[in-house]
Amino acid sequence: MSKELQMRAAINQKLIEMGERERLKELLRAKLIECGWRDQLKAHCKEVIKEKGIENVTVEDLVAGVTPKGRALVPDSVKKELLQRIRAFLAQHST
Amino acid sequence: REAPTARSGSAGAPAEGIRAKGPRSSLREQMPGLRPGPPSRTHSGRLPDPFPHPNPRNALHVGSVMCPAGCSHVNGFKVDNWKQNLRVIYQCFVWSGTAETRRRKAKSCICHMCGAHLNRLHSCLYCVFFGCFSKKHIHEHAKNKRHNLAIDLLYGGIYCFACQDYIYDKDMEQIAKEEQRKAWKLQGGCSVLASLAVILKCLSFCCPDCLELLRHNPKRRKITTNCTIGLRGLINLGNTCFMNCIVQALTHTPLLRDFFLSDRHKCEMQSNSCLVCEMSQLFQEFYSGHRSPHIPFRLLHLVWTHARHLAGYEQQDAHEFLIAALDVLHRHCDDNGKKANNPNHCNCIIDQIFTGGLQSDVTCQVCHGVSTTIDPFWDISLDLPGSSTPFWPLSPGGDSGVVNGEGHLTGSTTLTDCLRRFTRPEHLGSSAKIKCGGCHSYQESTKQLTMKKLPIVACFHLKRFEHSAKLRRKITTYVSFPLELDMTPFMASSKESRVNGQYQQSVDVLNNDNKYSLFAVVNHQGTLESGHYTSFIRQHKDQWFKCDDAIITKASIKDVLDSEG
Repeated sequence: MSKELQMRAAINQKLIEMGERERLKELLRAKLIECGWRDQLKAHCKEVIKEKGIENVTVEDLVAGVTPKGRALVPDSVKKELLQRIRAFLAQHST
Repeated sequence: REAPTARSGSAGAPAEGIRAKGPRSSLREQMPGLRPGPPSRTHSGRLPDPFPHPNPRNALHVGSVMCPAGCSHVNGFKVDNWKQNLRVIYQCFVWSGTAETRRRKAKSCICHMCGAHLNRLHSCLYCVFFGCFSKKHIHEHAKNKRHNLAIDLLYGGIYCFACQDYIYDKDMEQIAKEEQRKAWKLQGGCSVLASLAVILKCLSFCCPDCLELLRHNPKRRKITTNCTIGLRGLINLGNTCFMNCIVQALTHTPLLRDFFLSDRHKCEMQSNSCLVCEMSQLFQEFYSGHRSPHIPFRLLHLVWTHARHLAGYEQQDAHEFLIAALDVLHRHCDDNGKKANNPNHCNCIIDQIFTGGLQSDVTCQVCHGVSTTIDPFWDISLDLPGSSTPFWPLSPGGDSGVVNGEGHLTGSTTLTDCLRRFTRPEHLGSSAKIKCGGCHSYQESTKQLTMKKLPIVACFHLKRFEHSAKLRRKITTYVSFPLELDMTPFMASSKESRVNGQYQQSVDVLNNDNKYSLFAVVNHQGTLESGHYTSFIRQHKDQWFKCDDAIITKASIKDVLDSEG
């Protein structure tokens, strides 16, 4: 495993262990709802479903179909906020 | 006790509010144009949400539509002690409420094939195996071992490899929900619901002041499905039930509630006579948890100041009050001249929620040229059968001498009937010739109204009070109204496609765009001279209450739908 991957795994472990990962998830969820991202994506999902027909679409199709747009639509401010929060968390918990 | 004042022409009667779809989560810039989805609730996440979203994995629910019978493969899993086993999995590896389980999750949650942790890790439900979903490691396992079911360790969804999709099993979802709630309690240390816990966390991060406030006010209010927060009686201050019934309807308009409880109003008025500020105050009173009736004297005073025609202790018309209140609120919303710049495109909360666009097409009978105008509206006033204006027939341009109300034999009139009448083409006759823009002469023409743009919240007003030259009376015809109303047939767009011959009566399950669900009904009892207003309002998702000034009683859906409306 490369050093970076090791680092990632260690950070992930720490986040889970402290319950921070769940908190980040909820924070992110709240932020995305607040900025309208969720509604936009929901609308997009509806389009995808309409296009393919309800009978032949799976969650996987949907995920594949909306992921690029979903990623692109996340506002920079939200990303920044999350990054800052992770940094703060790590600074607090590094020994 | 009171009845509406007679005002020339405009007959007022109980207004009925119908709310569109779930409250919008983001009431901001993008609101006009973007129509809300189905009645699932999304909230901005900052409000104490009286309708906690039971299942945040909204997108996944799409699948349930595909496979109405459910997945048949879960039965293989539902043996012996499966419920307990599933609970343990949720407790230890999905929601992980305690420090101990979190530690374990942090250590063990890696793919058993590649050791990675971030490729949508799923766990087999039949044996101890974790695998990446994105890299199909879990798929491989499922195929080799014929272990059909796996659980998403991040969101708790259950995937069936035989169905090749996430599945939705009632029992399993129930367990997932219960365990998630337990985990939140463990982590939050107090018994607030998950959504509230999220809010606190979110607040504590983004707003230190709020956190400070919360520290000083340690009392938390728990919002359950049977709590009565938001319900409060209003004292009658002398024939003010016309105001009380509308205030009840407004305070239970989800979008308005969200707006005011999140403190979005930034007052820019110089004097302290802002009605929007008073509404803010009123919402605080309603959702404060106090049980004694509120005395809305400040509100009444402001109404008297700003809508002089409603002043005094006489009986007034509730519909008139609604329109006056919306108008004053709209004017006070931003008073710094933004409106002056663009009077037709106001972005205030009132216009965002209540304004729709009514399209009026006048067709010249000679050259068939159509002139179209679009006017904003806040409410739709509907004629009733039994009024002196002819109600039926519905055939376009039919002669108007036909008996009133008798063309319809299938029982009671419905709201849809009234809307159909409202949007039918109407022959303007020889006495009302209009100068045609096409052939530049005065010609007979037909006029038709349709909905160009639907408001988020639609108010329907049944014209029960008739004031014509000959008579003044109240029309008591019963008009039935539905809990859910689809406005699609009355849209300008449906008319166009009908004209072009493309109109199909396709039942589009996904298209909830024009669907409304009822959340308030205002009723008038009594006569034109003296009567009383009461209202029904919806609380939570499906509980109804009758508000009769200071008295609030539980009501059944039947009570609501059987009321005159």
